[in-house]
Amino acid sequence: MKTIQRRDKLKIYGDLLAALRSESSAEKIVLTQVQVRIKVPFDRLKTYIAELVDLGLIKDETSLELTRKGKQYLGEYDRVLDFIKRMGLAYR
Amino acid sequence: MYDVERITIEVISAIACLILVRFMIKPFRLTGETRYLGLPLGFGFLGASYAFSALSFSPLFDFSNSGWVQLFVRAFAFLFLAVTYYFSKSAKSPKLLWNTTLGILAAIFSVLILLAIISPEFLWPNYLQAQVFVRIFDLICLSYISIHALRSHIEKPDPTTLTIPFGYILLGIGQYSLLTWAIDASIFAFFTGLVLRLAGLSVFLFVSYRTFYSPEERGNR
Repeated sequence: MKTIQRRDKLKIYGDLLAALRSESSAEKIVLTQVQVRIKVPFDRLKTYIAELVDLGLIKDETSLELTRKGKQYLGEYDRVLDFIKRMGLAYR
Repeated sequence: MYDVERITIEVISAIACLILVRFMIKPFRLTGETRYLGLPLGFGFLGASYAFSALSFSPLFDFSNSGWVQLFVRAFAFLFLAVTYYFSKSAKSPKLLWNTTLGILAAIFSVLILLAIISPEFLWPNYLQAQVFVRIFDLICLSYISIHALRSHIEKPDPTTLTIPFGYILLGIGQYSLLTWAIDASIFAFFTGLVLRLAGLSVFLFVSYRTFYSPEERGNR
């Protein structure tokens, strides 16, 4: 049986921001598509979105647009993940 | 003999490691996962060992047991790196195990350093013999890390993941040269070891710079 590895919150935030960034090219961000992409239950997805708004990483819960701080975080997140990969280490 | 050259190479190596620590700490700072703490610890200890080495060759510094301290600090640097790679392949969350291992290693390290300062003869009667064994241990750690990093590359082939194993291999061959020097006092092996070490550290600096600062890499993401 295939198991889904446990992710810490920072990884979920990173995955969620990446999903929102790629979905932002569409006319409207559909939350169920985001949910499928990052594989979390819908109620928890709503909680994470509220937390990202509180942290100032996305503007609000309706537009789901990344703030400048959110884009910076995502950029750093991508670079660190890339660095971990280049170092030959794994990141769950 | 060759003290100035040696001090210069040791100082450059220590500075390179200091710069690398700034990059190596980033995975831990962003993810908060203690298992990545081995990277900055490893390169930090490595830098400290090179700085110690430079100081021991300097006429300004007079510490008779510096050889032992340098030997242990370097061995623990490679050990921290090897343990980091070991835990990275585990599918389960090894947080408690990693924290315990880190604590045990820190305790052993403290005891060894205290012994090296207070009573080195208690550790091993012959320093030269101990040097050979510790260098073999370093070589084993570096071989393990190189194989692990190469295996990660083979599992998911990507040209960007091939450079780091190459860096570890250079450090390993450098360590082998220093082992040869410890056995037969060949000055050629000694300087080959130092040059290969510098080459290995340059590889790490290159990869770190490309990942975090290269505009080309940023554009690709």
